[in-house]
Amino acid sequence: MTQRDRTPALGTHGEPGPWQRARPGARVALQRERWADAAWSFLYKDDTRYAPGPADMQAVAQANLRMRGGELGEVHGPVLNAHVWTWEIPLYFWFGGVATGSSFVSVACDLAGDQRSAAIARKVALAAVAPSPALLIADLGRPGRFLNMLRIFKPRSPMNLGAWSLVGFSALATAAVGADLLGRPRAARAVGGANVVVGGYLGSYTGVLLATTAVPLWARSRLFLGPIFVCTAAATGAAATRLTLVAAGLPQAHPTRVGLGHIEAGAMAGELILSRLNERRLGRAGFNLEHGTPGRLFAGAKWGVRIGLQLLRRPLGPRAHHVASCLYLGAGLAFRYAWVGAGQLSARDDEAVARMARGTVVTPDDALLDRPRRRFQSRARAPRRMGAAGARYAELVRRASLLAERLLGRGGAVTGRSGTGAPPSQPARP
Amino acid sequence: MTTRAAPTEIAIDAPDAERMGFFTDTTVCIGCKACEVACKQWNDLPADGARFGKGSSYDHTGGLNASTWRHVRFVEIAEPTPQAREDAAQRLGAGGGGGRIPAIPAAGGAGGAAGGAGVAADFDLVAVAAGRADADVDVAAAGRADAGVDVAAAARAHAGVDVAAAVAAMDDWVFMSDVCKHCTNAGCLDACPTGALIRTEFETVVLQADVCNGCGYCVPACPFGVVARDHEDGRAAKCTLCYDRLQDGLEPACAKACPTDSIQFGPYDELVALAARRVGELHARGVGDAYLYGAGDAPDDELAGGLGAFFLLTEPPECYGLPAQADSPIQEHVVPATAAAYGAALLAAAGAAAAFLLAARRPAGRGPRALARRRAIAGWQR
Repeated sequence: MTQRDRTPALGTHGEPGPWQRARPGARVALQRERWADAAWSFLYKDDTRYAPGPADMQAVAQANLRMRGGELGEVHGPVLNAHVWTWEIPLYFWFGGVATGSSFVSVACDLAGDQRSAAIARKVALAAVAPSPALLIADLGRPGRFLNMLRIFKPRSPMNLGAWSLVGFSALATAAVGADLLGRPRAARAVGGANVVVGGYLGSYTGVLLATTAVPLWARSRLFLGPIFVCTAAATGAAATRLTLVAAGLPQAHPTRVGLGHIEAGAMAGELILSRLNERRLGRAGFNLEHGTPGRLFAGAKWGVRIGLQLLRRPLGPRAHHVASCLYLGAGLAFRYAWVGAGQLSARDDEAVARMARGTVVTPDDALLDRPRRRFQSRARAPRRMGAAGARYAELVRRASLLAERLLGRGGAVTGRSGTGAPPSQPARP
Repeated sequence: MTTRAAPTEIAIDAPDAERMGFFTDTTVCIGCKACEVACKQWNDLPADGARFGKGSSYDHTGGLNASTWRHVRFVEIAEPTPQAREDAAQRLGAGGGGGRIPAIPAAGGAGGAAGGAGVAADFDLVAVAAGRADADVDVAAAGRADAGVDVAAAARAHAGVDVAAAVAAMDDWVFMSDVCKHCTNAGCLDACPTGALIRTEFETVVLQADVCNGCGYCVPACPFGVVARDHEDGRAAKCTLCYDRLQDGLEPACAKACPTDSIQFGPYDELVALAARRVGELHARGVGDAYLYGAGDAPDDELAGGLGAFFLLTEPPECYGLPAQADSPIQEHVVPATAAAYGAALLAAAGAAAAFLLAARRPAGRGPRALARRRAIAGWQR
């Protein structure tokens, strides 16, 4: 990668532009009102043959439909930009899944009356969620600005809700473990139970995050990606908790171990079935889940799961079950890497992208929904202005982020381009 | 038939502002890349390096990315398809002008009464093509096209000259100045978790560089492959439709620089009306393939709810690297995907509880396994 010359034409890098208006609100010299100088063109005038006739909107709409419909011809890519996420993101998905699965297990233990296991499961959940923010921050282009995720609450953005759910889950998991340590089991149980509501989103939103993109493989898996990720989360969470409990001395005949074995096997079997169903639907869009490095990872993960399931079916003793749990954990990680990696290749697969746009890549899944074509349209939301308190909060977080970036040192080197550095929301910032 | 962004999205309060946009007419684009240069200059964007790849395209500036916000795409349809050859032959046979080159017949010549579709700009190219195949053809006749000389007929008169093949053998190039579409349903804006991407009072989509934390979610969320994350800068970046210039009443730099006015800037409704008239004119001149990409559609067929920057194209959209249909992926998928995912999560939690309750409520018998089980529970609970 060559070092690019980033010297701005004017001023200092990262600072607002060096120019100033002589008078506030003064107009640019020779400028004419309301973009009148944009209409200088000979094409706009009536004395050319550029566009003399009257407009026939119906003919235009028909021409548009004719050219955008029908069979796919040649494709001159690239159409999409592939995502730029690195190894941290799938690892974060995996850790988040383990945390979610463990929180499910802790509640199940509580319901079954095994409070000691529940407390350990809550600790596993906290330990698994602990590295998640670090991984998420490390992948940001500007790690110092992580706080900006919490600048607003934006329900339509899965990543924003995911960041909030990560914060909520971490807080509740810490509170639950703290209550355990302080000897308040009832409070711990209540907080741990509440965490299932947040954890349910933390473990599943990663699938939604991928499905709500223009990448054919992910977008066409939209109804399956979330459930598949939940299955991985439940299986890996149960496996991690099981191994931890075994290390803590849980006897083999204890029903908790039996129950954990059921969860692991059931979730992994569910994952295999859902993946198979999804693959059958995907057709051309699923190419990258079968070929290349992600394809090999995916196939390897499936084999790992199959071996694990077979190990449980035979009376091979507890060690074989430990091996199976490790296989599930590894397979879960491989599934995450395979899905994220395959999305990158799928975005570069111009033909699949073009086919998806023409609606010919897979069978439509609208029939699977009770209300087809239901969309989350922004125009359907009621107009609501942000209050003064909200605006102050957002500005405070923004400034905190900028300060953190400056303190971390990243900001000094490359804060911004002088041309685009001035924020449009605050044009009059000194 | 005009489209509007959701009023709730508009972040800047300016009651008398209206929607502004780009209309890029590819039929008059000459591929000079002046818009790219103007964009880089005004926005102080770094150079990406220009390189000709061996055996690849003559387009030496890559594509849209974080530091190229305008990009002139060269659509090099080098090898005419059999269909194109046949069309060219048929059109020549029918006495019409030209093969696939040039695609756009010029308007009726200076005489005004140029008979029907016979058009000056076509004839010289046909003649050149024919002349290439057979030096006997009077190429100079092309210059007298407005005097009514039918060069195609002249070429046909020369037995043994395969004019259709000569015309069809010529490369067919199209240029298209690509840019952020400033969608009504903007995928990047829906995806942005920090609120860095906003909709301005001109209903354009602008990325606030001081808020963006480089999460990279907008990159795969854009169905047109526009927004990208800069690997050195760490933030995402894309066309702002020169928001800073718009605020001062100046037109965007690319539109200002365009020498043929292929890039036109103005109030959105006016641009759509102009573009529709242009399509009608091209249809009347025999370019039946002219159409608008992103404007003038019926409400159900709109691309991302209507594009703030739309295009007049003459080839199928995939030739320009554009999807035939697109929408904000979030608005399309987030409701069913979240319902399926969160439903599955709650189901999994219920399943986990059910598995435990089943395991816990096994009837305790008198066998050795039941005994071991009771002992294990007692030992673990303490």
